[in-house]
Amino acid sequence: MISRRKFLGTGTAAAVSGAAGLAVGATSASALANTAAETKLADTVAHSVGRAKVPALGLHQAGVELELQSHTRFIALDILPETDRRAMVRYMQLIADDIARLANGEPVLADPQPQLAQFAARLTVTVGFGPSLFAKLGLEASMPKGFAPLPAFDIDRLDPNLCDGDLLLQLSCDDLPMLNHAARSLIRDSTSFATVRWSQDGFANAQGVVGKGVRQRNMMGQVDGTDNPELGSEDFANVVWMRDAQPWANGGTQLVLRRIRMELGTWDTLGTEQKEQIIGRKLSNGAPIGGTNETDVPDFGARNEAGLHVIPDFAHIRNAAARDMKERFFRRPFNYVDGTTGETGLLWTAYSANLTEQYLPVQKRLAGGDLLNKWTTPVGSAVFVIPAGFDLDSYPGRGLF
Amino acid sequence: MKKLIIATAIAFSAFSTVALTGCAETTHNSSEHSHELTIENAWVRASEYSDHEGGMTGVFATISNGSDHDVILTGGSTDIAMMVQTHEVVDGMMQETENGITIPAGGSVTLEPGGLHVMLMNLKKPIVSGDKVNFTFAFDDGSEQAFELTAKVSDGGDEEYHDH
Repeated sequence: MISRRKFLGTGTAAAVSGAAGLAVGATSASALANTAAETKLADTVAHSVGRAKVPALGLHQAGVELELQSHTRFIALDILPETDRRAMVRYMQLIADDIARLANGEPVLADPQPQLAQFAARLTVTVGFGPSLFAKLGLEASMPKGFAPLPAFDIDRLDPNLCDGDLLLQLSCDDLPMLNHAARSLIRDSTSFATVRWSQDGFANAQGVVGKGVRQRNMMGQVDGTDNPELGSEDFANVVWMRDAQPWANGGTQLVLRRIRMELGTWDTLGTEQKEQIIGRKLSNGAPIGGTNETDVPDFGARNEAGLHVIPDFAHIRNAAARDMKERFFRRPFNYVDGTTGETGLLWTAYSANLTEQYLPVQKRLAGGDLLNKWTTPVGSAVFVIPAGFDLDSYPGRGLF
Repeated sequence: MKKLIIATAIAFSAFSTVALTGCAETTHNSSEHSHELTIENAWVRASEYSDHEGGMTGVFATISNGSDHDVILTGGSTDIAMMVQTHEVVDGMMQETENGITIPAGGSVTLEPGGLHVMLMNLKKPIVSGDKVNFTFAFDDGSEQAFELTAKVSDGGDEEYHDH
């Protein structure tokens, strides 16, 4: 007899087998016969997804230069009035120790539920400092070059409850239970120093659903994240990591987080061609209009028989494209859906070595005349310095406080 | 040499397993057997009981005994507490153990909130979250192992603290 529990377990294994391209019998008899093989395969999948680790220690913090994990949570915190620079050192030492353990698939010290932290599933935790932290600690003079709060834009409809913050802890993970446990662990160790200001969740495809290197689609149906500096490239390093900064910042980056609501009610009413004209890319595969493949370089000069630009003047990719090599940054956008209100959009991120020089010119251009603004509304906004990476004897912001 | 042990402990303290057998020559080992004790995940609790002079707190860790004979944790020492005792929790109340804490041959014991632990009493200075506390575990064979403990907030165990 196959118990229900056993049967369900086999079904899951069979689904996984199918994804891996193995032929697995659909009848219960062959399912039984294949149980051992399926168990082995399920173990293999658990090994590749659950036990995959991203090194937490090094020159750069983890969580920036890697393919999207399936889940993310941005947690902004405000320090308590009594949290001074010396307390910040203790706080960051605790957090660094927690991060090293969690990313290695181990529970944090004093974890009341250590059973929940037995694997990492590519967990990364990225620590950031907001402008208000520098102000509260009297460290304004130490703000890295180019790092500053964003100016107000006419298109913004910002909810103050989704903006700013002294500190950022961004957790990303391929497994939601693990992410939740890690988040709780970090928040528990934060309670002596800070309170949560806001928390925002995002998601991407589950592991194994799309191939490595394939860009996810946002909830407007568009392929998102094309034309990004390539992970691991010198170009990426030049665009993203701060250099010639203070040691605590050198090897770090500057993050712009924008919560961008999609007006799907009206977007849904558009036809495919209209949607493609507005974005400048084909919905089918993300290729620029006039191109064939997603990675084709858009031909902004090409014109049709009527003498009009093939990629329209109002198209998003035309306005978003860098006008010179300085105007480049790395995007790592996650989708979000508020399950209660149905609000849908992007937790859109830009990472650059100098947000004023690299990000701001593009944002000003988009805020001024991008047709896509009709269907997108910024409702949350924050900037954080992501300090340099750290080792076992170090912590985020060492030397700053 | 004690300094060397502490430095080693600090270097590895961010990860769980710290095998101290490599430092055997620096311990005062009176036993004829090899002393294969491993201490991991050591921490000290920060709470409203520890945040003032004269306060108290608990030390927690997992201690494994790889040798073929029982070893008894008798307590330990630290510059910041007047008294160190081994404690157990019975019916929700803490009390001193009669004969230390036995680490069985080939086994391990986890000191944890609500269970066995080492108690630091009459603190000479406050212990708050994130503090580093130097602590030396002491065993019945005369050996000692020094550690840097991280102070962490924890509600675990919920044992009742009463006057000693």
